[in-house]
Amino acid sequence: MATVPLIAPSEDFRRELRRRGGERASRCYQCATCSAVCELAPEGRPFPRRQVLLAQWGQGDQLATDPAVWLCHQCNDCTVRCPRDVRPGDLMQVVRAMVIERLAAPAFLGRLVANVRSTWPVVLGAPLLLWVLLLGLTGHLGVPPGFHAYDQLVPHWLIYSVFFPVAAFVLWAAWVSGRRFWTLLGSVGPPRKGSFLASLVPVFGEISTHGRFSNCEAGRPRRWGHLALLWGFVGAAVTSGLLVVALYGFGAQLPLPLDHPFKILGNISAVLLVVGGVILLINRLGDPQKTGASTAFDRFFLTVVLLVIATGVLAEVGRFFFPAAVACSIYIVHLSVVLTLFVTFPYSKFAHMLYRTLAMVHERMTG
Amino acid sequence: MNDQDSLPVLVVGAGVSGITAALEAAETGASVVLVERQPYVGGRVAGFYHYFPKMCPPSCGLEINVQRLERNPRVRVLTETRVSAAEQVDGGWRVTLERAPAYVTEACTGCGECSKVCPVSVVDEFNHGMSSSPAIRLSHPQAWPQRFVIERAACADGCEACVQSCAYDAIHLDATVTTEELQVGSVVLATGWQPYPLEKLSELGGGVLPDVISNVQMERLASPSGPTAGQILCPSTGQPPRRVAFVQCAGSRDVNHLPYCSGICCLASLKHAQYVKDQHPDTEVSIFYIDRRTPGRNEDVLTRIGDMDGVRLVKGKVGKVEAGDGGLVLTVEDVEAGRKLHEQADLVVLATGMVPTGNGESPFGIARDEDGFALDDFDRGLVVAGVARRPTDVAAAVRDATGSAARALAAAERGA
Repeated sequence: MATVPLIAPSEDFRRELRRRGGERASRCYQCATCSAVCELAPEGRPFPRRQVLLAQWGQGDQLATDPAVWLCHQCNDCTVRCPRDVRPGDLMQVVRAMVIERLAAPAFLGRLVANVRSTWPVVLGAPLLLWVLLLGLTGHLGVPPGFHAYDQLVPHWLIYSVFFPVAAFVLWAAWVSGRRFWTLLGSVGPPRKGSFLASLVPVFGEISTHGRFSNCEAGRPRRWGHLALLWGFVGAAVTSGLLVVALYGFGAQLPLPLDHPFKILGNISAVLLVVGGVILLINRLGDPQKTGASTAFDRFFLTVVLLVIATGVLAEVGRFFFPAAVACSIYIVHLSVVLTLFVTFPYSKFAHMLYRTLAMVHERMTG
Repeated sequence: MNDQDSLPVLVVGAGVSGITAALEAAETGASVVLVERQPYVGGRVAGFYHYFPKMCPPSCGLEINVQRLERNPRVRVLTETRVSAAEQVDGGWRVTLERAPAYVTEACTGCGECSKVCPVSVVDEFNHGMSSSPAIRLSHPQAWPQRFVIERAACADGCEACVQSCAYDAIHLDATVTTEELQVGSVVLATGWQPYPLEKLSELGGGVLPDVISNVQMERLASPSGPTAGQILCPSTGQPPRRVAFVQCAGSRDVNHLPYCSGICCLASLKHAQYVKDQHPDTEVSIFYIDRRTPGRNEDVLTRIGDMDGVRLVKGKVGKVEAGDGGLVLTVEDVEAGRKLHEQADLVVLATGMVPTGNGESPFGIARDEDGFALDDFDRGLVVAGVARRPTDVAAAVRDATGSAARALAAAERGA
């Protein structure tokens, strides 16, 4: 007699799903309108109908191995049409947050950020406290006499001594989580073919234009906001790298004059970040049926990004127009929210950069 | 009960439920006034080609009922009449009946000379807009009363072609609205249903693509008295379809449309599949469904038609219907296979549900459930019958109406 596979629903998973706002999964009656209207779903393995079923049945293990969870861009074409108001787009977002926590290394940081609804004072406050302490201990807490540049307030060696170790830690944490995820992806479904790098290059190409986003109807404005943010951050990172080269390779003096090419690049990036941030903020405040419901996890990431952009721009402008004490305070807050953004990368919504990229590479290698 | 002492029962709506309630009440000896907004009795059923599960034409059932109406002196049938006002009074209701102008009187013999000379063409609502007819016409060939009607608003200024053609002096273009006050003991509301509007389903091509039709339009296409004389043809080309697709739950069980299941669309589509196969045996039929809801003995219909060659049942609700090269393309996930289909079809039938008529505009102030279906209010002498109460098939509507007649009689007797 053929054996029937036993499905063991995880009650813990279902409880956690409900707690995080995925309780509507139980309304789904599997009509598959969502999969039919999704422009991103592959023909042979459509989503999110199947994923809603897995969530309903408490199949957290299967969802963690499923690339479809990440191929979804939460454009909400499914949510707009869902006849049962299950809001599959939002449900996928909740599942992604659960996968991020599940694969986090070290686990306690994953938990900390996953529960950011209550832990946000720590996540935002600890880096600020760290900077205030470091500046106080090194005798830099106060408006520098004759203030005209921020390296008078925070010397570069202090910045390096915080951000280099943090960068190393974040890279390690992302590497561990990425490896766990890659292994899980490969544990089911068709075998991968070809090399990782050969698939990564076209994936980067796709990400650089956000080509997939253009297929979405309901969440269309998000594409441009998201793309502006991506390129703004890339520009900001490149500017930072170039600055280090200019400082130590060519003995440049800070602050750079406004017509310096690096300064121009930095300012273009800032404009992109502001534009992208404003678009995403407006979008978030719009019709939740189309934009997706906000969980604390989502709001936290967007808030940190917006804080980084706002304090960055204000610090730059403030140097000229604000009282020195105000400008210096803004700069310290800026450093602390940047630190929060960095440290939470592998645990917050920011981690979608890692997971979605890997899922897209996996999709290419198995497609 | 002595019918001389009791006030009459008013039945609003002369579809199959209203006719049944009126006859059942009258055949116990009560007097009944049966009012109908349309110029003919029979309601929605009059437009159907066949009933399920027996697949016989409803005209024979209606004919028997019309004979019962004709033979029973206790039923007064008023077509083209609506209840314009109602007031609760001691022992029942005082109602105002508004009768449409009698442009064509009972002298009409149905000879049809007027239609031949009528210079104006209007959209034929009986065929759900799929054909046109002269402004003066018989609503449909089996219409009872067999009396022509005029869509007066469409008449050309000063045109009297029909009046001059009529050998019986039956046409009076200057007729006016008349009203009549009436006291009744109780009221049966058999106000029936409207098809869910196709235009609200534009994502499925409804109201946008000519070859996307509704299930009630399919009944007219298959009906010998319909726009194609009973031939199932694609509206855009006039050719027989080679592939027909049915979209189940189109605007039903859906929070964005009708939240409830109408309970008849699955069977209607299976029935339509048989219409198609009877006419075009080589045509491929696909029915896309969420669930196959064929309760009771209707299960046999599913087995019989679902197993026919060239009839395919696919689990998955259609998400999109678009115009493609060489026909329509339906996008749907085949849930059992777990893959997306882009299904080609020449004719798409949207299995739309039933919307209760007159939600929010009842002169009786009838209470309704959350879906808009009317609720009995026995204390006020209001009884609901048929689809006005809940979506059902014809057989269940008839059973419900029989029970409603008994409740209406009890309410009228108590009131008197």
